[in-house]
Amino acid sequence: MPTVVLMDVSLSMTRPVSLDGSEEFQRKNLAVHGLNMLFEHMASNYRLEFTALMAFSSLWELLVPFTRDYNALQEALSSLEDYDKTCIEAALNGVNNVVQQEWGSGCPCQVVLVTDGSLGIGKGSLRHSLQTLKHRGEDKKFPLPFPFPTKLYILCIANSEELQMTDAMDNLEHLLCLSGGDGQIFTMEGPLCMKSVQTMFGRLIDHAYSPFHAVLHCGNLSSDVQVFPRPEPMVVDEEVEPMPRVVSTDVDEVGAAATDELEDEPSATQMAGKSPNFCVLLHGSLKVEGMVALVQLGPEWYGMLYSQADSKKKSNLMMSLFEPGSEPLPWLGKISYLGPVSEAAENPYGEDDSKSPFPVQPPAKRSYAQNVTVWIKASGLQADVQKILRNARKLPDKTQTFYKELNRMRKAALAFGFLELLKGVADLLERECTLLPDSAHPDAAFQLSHAAQQLKLASTGDSQYADFDHNIAPMHTDFSTSVSSTRR
Amino acid sequence: MKMFSVAHKTVFVVDHCPYMAESSRQQVECDVLTKSRAQGVIPLAPVSKSLWTCAVECSMEYCRILYDVYPKDKLVNYIVSDSEFHILNSWRRGDQSTHELMSALAAVGPPNPCEDPECCSILHGLVAAVESLCKITELQHEKRTALMDTAERVANRGRIICLTNAKSDTHVRMLEDCIQETILDQNKLAAGSDRLMGIQQCELVLVHIYPQGEDTLVSDRPKKEISPLLTSEVHSVRAGRHLASKLNILVQQHFDLASTTITNIPMKPTLNVCEQEEQHANTSANYDVELLHHRDAHLEFFKSGDLHMAGTSTRENSFKETVTLKWCTPRTNNIELHYCTGAYRISPTDVNSRPSSCLTNFLLNGRSVLLEQPRKSGSKVISHMLSSHGGEIFLHVLNSNRSTLEDPPSISEGCGGRVTDYRITDFGEFMRENRLTPVAESSHDPSGKVPVERAKAQLERYTRYWPMIISQTTIFNMQAVVPLANLIVKETLTEEDVLTCQKTVYNLVDMERKNDPLPISTVGSRGKGPKRDEQYRIMWNELETLVKTHAGATDRHQRVLDCIIACRSKPPEEEERKKRGRKREDREDRAEKNGSKEMEDKSWQDSERLKGLLEKGEQDAEVIKDSPDSPEPLNKKPRLMVDEVQPPERAKGPVSLLSLWTNRITAANSRKHQEFVGRVSSVNNKFELYQHLKEENGMDVHENGKASR
Repeated sequence: MPTVVLMDVSLSMTRPVSLDGSEEFQRKNLAVHGLNMLFEHMASNYRLEFTALMAFSSLWELLVPFTRDYNALQEALSSLEDYDKTCIEAALNGVNNVVQQEWGSGCPCQVVLVTDGSLGIGKGSLRHSLQTLKHRGEDKKFPLPFPFPTKLYILCIANSEELQMTDAMDNLEHLLCLSGGDGQIFTMEGPLCMKSVQTMFGRLIDHAYSPFHAVLHCGNLSSDVQVFPRPEPMVVDEEVEPMPRVVSTDVDEVGAAATDELEDEPSATQMAGKSPNFCVLLHGSLKVEGMVALVQLGPEWYGMLYSQADSKKKSNLMMSLFEPGSEPLPWLGKISYLGPVSEAAENPYGEDDSKSPFPVQPPAKRSYAQNVTVWIKASGLQADVQKILRNARKLPDKTQTFYKELNRMRKAALAFGFLELLKGVADLLERECTLLPDSAHPDAAFQLSHAAQQLKLASTGDSQYADFDHNIAPMHTDFSTSVSSTRR
Repeated sequence: MKMFSVAHKTVFVVDHCPYMAESSRQQVECDVLTKSRAQGVIPLAPVSKSLWTCAVECSMEYCRILYDVYPKDKLVNYIVSDSEFHILNSWRRGDQSTHELMSALAAVGPPNPCEDPECCSILHGLVAAVESLCKITELQHEKRTALMDTAERVANRGRIICLTNAKSDTHVRMLEDCIQETILDQNKLAAGSDRLMGIQQCELVLVHIYPQGEDTLVSDRPKKEISPLLTSEVHSVRAGRHLASKLNILVQQHFDLASTTITNIPMKPTLNVCEQEEQHANTSANYDVELLHHRDAHLEFFKSGDLHMAGTSTRENSFKETVTLKWCTPRTNNIELHYCTGAYRISPTDVNSRPSSCLTNFLLNGRSVLLEQPRKSGSKVISHMLSSHGGEIFLHVLNSNRSTLEDPPSISEGCGGRVTDYRITDFGEFMRENRLTPVAESSHDPSGKVPVERAKAQLERYTRYWPMIISQTTIFNMQAVVPLANLIVKETLTEEDVLTCQKTVYNLVDMERKNDPLPISTVGSRGKGPKRDEQYRIMWNELETLVKTHAGATDRHQRVLDCIIACRSKPPEEEERKKRGRKREDREDRAEKNGSKEMEDKSWQDSERLKGLLEKGEQDAEVIKDSPDSPEPLNKKPRLMVDEVQPPERAKGPVSLLSLWTNRITAANSRKHQEFVGRVSSVNNKFELYQHLKEENGMDVHENGKASR
């Protein structure tokens, strides 16, 4: 989940913080101190996060585009300049542009807004933006909620008493609510000083930037792993299951079977990697065998592990999470009903790995796989009738196909209550019978008039002849075998 | 969509009154005469569908699309109404298919125009529909049972789609009032029943159908709330294609569907997508096919406002929106698939048209098609892929933006990344043995465990002793051990299995007698590595460790362990003789064997240490230099184990001249100096060095030197 740090560089951020005795600080200095702490934490514990740094006042500027280079971010912090007034709406529009350009609208993002809680005055102030929310045209809509899923963290270089003296707190809460409610407002506790700003950023780090450690088990083999990005809790159905499901930190490998979100990184600290680690073994074998391993992440929540290589020969163990549920991939069937091959009477993969029990076929075929009859468009009906006639002209060679098509048409006509069609096709078949050339096989005439008669009977709607499951069978004639052989 | 939104239950109520037998007055020419045959033949008069036929085929089309996209738990109950109601199916999952419904519709047949119109009413069906909505579905039952005390979270909502020919707006209002009253009545009934559920929300969609060329007597009306329980909307539509496109729009609205048109599908010459039939199709025309699917497959377009760019077109006659995506010639390279973010079932709008069936057959035969977003700038962006799994076609969404997963660290940078002699091939074999396969839900296992738990139990058994690197194991590098190693992990053994295991053990004994070399790793030690008998000692220890982890399972497992213990212990005399014989051969050998009893003590420590290694992953640096093909590392001999003083038991036997002499000298010498602390407090003449380290690290350090290569 990429992070955008949105730093307020308006003039009010230069307000001095009164400290007894020691040297004088600006609020900006406190903010920079806190952000430095955040970046240092990320550089060592959360280094795969992409972070961008934006500064804003009445205008906004992208100081550092999305990067994992935390030195660059810290450098940019050290050279911030001071500008005019706070205009949060414009800055949020900026965030929207920057994120969508880089990641599109499907990628969840975290926005860390650092401000002093003086939210501008007059036009462009947050108060003004919120007051005019409802009177806007399509082209000037407020940027929140963003099209991408957002976690908004507002860090105030101010304490809550100060914010509550004005309507600043109310406005910030409104802002958080507009963004979808996912996030938090952090304020400073006690006097504004280095220590309290550290505490505040520490709370943000604990809440949003703590690495996700887990243990991967495969029977008695196991390995400590760090998962990045952090798997987020998920609400499956807010009505039936209103509690979010959380990925358990004890991950069970279920077994091997035959792409998308998570990267599973064996605790990649600077420690020398000299002792054997199960993850590396698993990765190596998955890669060599071209297999994936199924993992259980919690009750009825599964995912898969596989080796993924980038173009630079670096490969790595990835974990993709499936949607929570007992049957996340229809072609695997219910996961709880996957059992060990050793129990099967015969190896379903074949002795030479030439077969596979997957994909599991669904109990019913989809419409496009079962030759359904649809006559909504006239062309559909015409095509079916023509197909019957084409085969009728090739009797008796096409007897089987002729009756198959005829019966398909008959079934549909009966279901749709389209008896007029049965009569019409019966007439057509009788006409075909009269048009048969002299050279025609005698069986053709018999079959045509038999089929026409059967259709006519069905078209009466009489239940005796109009049974849906009944099929018109070819008429048994002596020609079927004997005549055709004598002719030859 | 919530699990129990109104979309969970849909009741179709179709008017079967005599009026519905009237013609829609839309004529279909089904006798298309070819030019060569046209002479002298009178073409068949065009046929026309009745209002009933129009209603039935459009409702079937609605169900077809619904079942294609949601094969499970979006349920339809089909009711026909004339002088009474006829319920054609139930909410049961087994009843949910168009084939079932068509069969039931055929049994009902078309409306009888001679029936007395006064007796017939759509109301019978509507009342039955409300009653049916109160009936519990399988999913509702399952969830209520599963949730137990929070069963009230399972909601009961539903939709009634009524296809009828209404008389007037007043008539419509009367129908609405009647439904409202029935809901109240039924809810009272349901409150006192376990098998019924009160209706919390009902959505009435009334479709008034009238013949072509007539004026409608009923006006369209958008959704309005009749009561907190009931909303109602009215659509007034001419029969025929207008009705078809209305129901197509409704099914999209009701089930969150969206439309994608695949454009530029090359049909004949190059790709041979469509091989058979139609001989006249020798043109290379490009075709379009429209597909419906869940609208989340377009999420990226909707959100980014890219819809227009992606080629939305409002097509003539159909008043609906579709996103156009361009067919990309299939390639074998499927690297793009890594960032697939979702897969959605599809249903073709025009299922049996030739372009549609060509595309779907192509996909069902196992091919995939990448789809490109047409952009004015000319840059090519692949945004989707069509592919089938198990006979179902899915539209896959591919991430076309930058991915946050780019440039991940290599696994070799992490823990254990620099170890090079992992048993990769063996673990591959292990994975193949532990592969999964679907098990029929009906099959019953006596253990009462679901199959996936049995798979996990098997993993547990197979990994009780599983060294991860080649240099940590001897037995798994030996072909001779394979039969036993494969069998011992089984849950139960047959007599024959036990025999095979015993044979394996005897074979090993034989190897030892013949002094066959063992694949003990020699890495990290100077010289030739351990002596042959030391090698066998290590091998037996490891084998014993493996079998011990399973010995508790059954008596037969225990018998295999017993066999090993019995076979490996040898009379000390023989050991001694062997040792001495070899001593002469190798003068530099300063190490000596312990008696067999001590050896067993040590072997236990050894295996404990091996286990410790597995868990803690303590390892020496030399391993890094190895490739899996290099000679296996060897266990360095522990100097501590050198047997300088005879163990007490041995002293009881016949005393040799050497030991007599040694004992005397030792006794004399000991008087001249203070004894070492270690020797004084030794047990069996052994004293563990660096005990403080053990305390600090919590592991057995004194053998570390020998241990870990």
